[in-house]
Amino acid sequence: MAAPATTEAFSLSYSMFSLLLILFACVELGDAASAVHVYRLIQYDLGGVPLGSRISHLNHHAASLPLDPNADLSRSALLLPLLDLDLSFLTDYITNKKPLGGLVILLPQKLGNKFADFGKHVDLTRVKSVLNQLEDLLVHAELPYPVYFAYESSTFDSLLGDIRGKNFSSQPATSTNGGYKLVISTPEAKKLSPPTISNFQGWLPGQKDGDAEQLPTIAIVASYDTFGAAPALSVGSDSNGSGVAALLEIARLFSRLYSNPKTRGKYNLLFGLTSGGPYNYNGTQKWLRSFDQRVRESIDYAICLNSVGSWENDLWMHVSKPPENVYIKEIYDGFSEVAQDMGFSINVKHKKINISNSRVAWEHEQFSRFRVTALTLSGLSVAPEFLQSTGNLHDTRKSADEKAVARTVKLVAESLARQIYGHKGKKLDIFADGSSLAVNVHHIQSWLDLLSRTPRVAPFLSKNNPFIAALKKELSDHTVEVHVQNEVLDGTFTFYDSTEATLNIYQVAGVTFDFLFLMVLGSYLIVLFSFLVITTRGLDDLINIFRRPAVRKSKST
Amino acid sequence: MTLFHFVNCALLTFGPHVVYYSATPLSEYDTMGTSIKAAVVYLVTALIKLVCLATFLKVPENEGFDPYQEVMKVLIGLVDVAGLYFALTQLTHRNISQNHKFQAVGLGWAFADSVLHRLAPLWIGARGLEFTWEYIFQGLEANANLVMTLSLAALGSLMWLRKNKPKTLVPIIYACAFLLATMPSITSYLRKALEWQTREVVGFEIFSSLVMAFFSWQLFSACQRPL
Repeated sequence: MAAPATTEAFSLSYSMFSLLLILFACVELGDAASAVHVYRLIQYDLGGVPLGSRISHLNHHAASLPLDPNADLSRSALLLPLLDLDLSFLTDYITNKKPLGGLVILLPQKLGNKFADFGKHVDLTRVKSVLNQLEDLLVHAELPYPVYFAYESSTFDSLLGDIRGKNFSSQPATSTNGGYKLVISTPEAKKLSPPTISNFQGWLPGQKDGDAEQLPTIAIVASYDTFGAAPALSVGSDSNGSGVAALLEIARLFSRLYSNPKTRGKYNLLFGLTSGGPYNYNGTQKWLRSFDQRVRESIDYAICLNSVGSWENDLWMHVSKPPENVYIKEIYDGFSEVAQDMGFSINVKHKKINISNSRVAWEHEQFSRFRVTALTLSGLSVAPEFLQSTGNLHDTRKSADEKAVARTVKLVAESLARQIYGHKGKKLDIFADGSSLAVNVHHIQSWLDLLSRTPRVAPFLSKNNPFIAALKKELSDHTVEVHVQNEVLDGTFTFYDSTEATLNIYQVAGVTFDFLFLMVLGSYLIVLFSFLVITTRGLDDLINIFRRPAVRKSKST
Repeated sequence: MTLFHFVNCALLTFGPHVVYYSATPLSEYDTMGTSIKAAVVYLVTALIKLVCLATFLKVPENEGFDPYQEVMKVLIGLVDVAGLYFALTQLTHRNISQNHKFQAVGLGWAFADSVLHRLAPLWIGARGLEFTWEYIFQGLEANANLVMTLSLAALGSLMWLRKNKPKTLVPIIYACAFLLATMPSITSYLRKALEWQTREVVGFEIFSSLVMAFFSWQLFSACQRPL
């Protein structure tokens, strides 16, 4: 009668116990010494060739320079501060495909948005050149290990100090020695579906007299997306956030003029914000292709804005038609007139386009391929290489100056206005400072601030991103017939996700410590045991414990 | 590897209890029942203390040492002593000598204390990758706690179970017992008011437990001698 009850009770307690055991096994609290936000190097395939960092999870011991020359780093994660970076060492490792457990590069705090005012003082020009070389190296290589970027902090300072101190005992940290372990546990990166690129356009229609034929159009275009080594950090304040801010300010100024029928000019103004810039201006091509041929032919010329936030006294006008061309000369004369009044110089640079070469270095080249006269205004004097100057790590808020953007806006607006209203050659200051049409530096500043907070790499910028909605709203505020064209980027690029993660830093003790501790503990318990036996039962009993097997043997025989 | 650390710390925390049971004549006389009953009494005492603490103590605004709260904690700590009294005197034990009775009760009490206070933090904390000295200190504390509980049980059995004691030793016995009973308050005073580090507090606990064990041993053997 009692037996079934006890077995029932036993099975119940057993199931409860096993449940508790499973519950306990699942409890895994975050108990790291510290957790830091890190940003991953981009992973992509270009025409089938795998590039960038191919692995996203990390679970290795931390190591740092200076290193033993023949140290094996295949199971270590190398922690490199940017300012102490030895580029030749890294180049050697990458080009000779030496095995490495992982790479974490520490960026100076001045580059980040949050810490820009608190970070240690650094020489930004030196940082810029080192970063450019580093990005070039990393973006065009295939790295079969995780590569992450993080901002310097006191955590990393103390960590590096500890590791370097251990380095002097000439033993890199391994699982037997203890040290620090860097763990990033994210799932493997998956391929993303081909990215959507969204092109925006808005019109400011001119004043038609009765039913005259189609008015000529002047287009102002800027590409807004970026590409960089760390997609989560690629904010491209100068390339091309400055162009976007300038375009929006020009749109605002002309919408004030065009809203009043008395001051509406006899030109249509077309504003275009294109995506797909870093990928040979693929978005611009698709945008132009979508136009009705008559509309395209009515475009007198297009002004493309690229990197207009970092120039001081020289602005460059890049063209693909020779400068002697009548139209180009006319436009250039208009610009240089205003430039002279404003106190800087504008230089023309001619670069022929090669139809057979798919490389498109400037946005105006896409227009030229459709036989539309176009030019690019830029602070850069040389055409950037493929995937260069498209939102690098150093291109943060401080590299775009709103005053330079304001000067560009005034230049473009004045020259356009003089042409539209037929005041060429006259000394006028339509957009004078202090007037109601003055260039609003605060408007430019707030857009530069927003752009510097928003990473805009196309595959990671979805259609529903609030930034896209903000762009659309701003255009709708100043222009009419705002149209968004969503296209898919051409197939040579394949992107992978996983751009940010959390790095956990653990201080570990090593197996040797555990074994030593076990030895000490074992001897302590044995000593305790013997002590207790001796004091309570006497020394003979202790000896008897060890003699018992012998006694039994003699009994059996 | 981290499970290794957990096993090490668990051995340090609970090993001495097991060793004590197997090394002394307790295992020969099968006093397991007594120890288990003492553990149950400890559980009940802990629950009563919890309820009293929740009712009478206020949530402290700052981390400092508040004398009134500490006095209240001491009074509630005396519930511990009452529980030990109950376990020593009221439970019907089988016919085991007084010598072994207090050891069994003290062992069961200290084991329950260790399990309740130290097993859960050990399981959750010591298995992680991060290494801290915390759990090793906790194990050492458990060792000191075992010695102190045994001493307190010995003095308790002297106070309540032995009828004929030399008159001169009686106040000393009561004084030592009071000191042992208030030991938790003393350690919290050291930690909060004087701000000693963990290793200093643990060192103090070990040292004081050995000293008190020596005193109780002397008192016990002094009372053993026939008058």
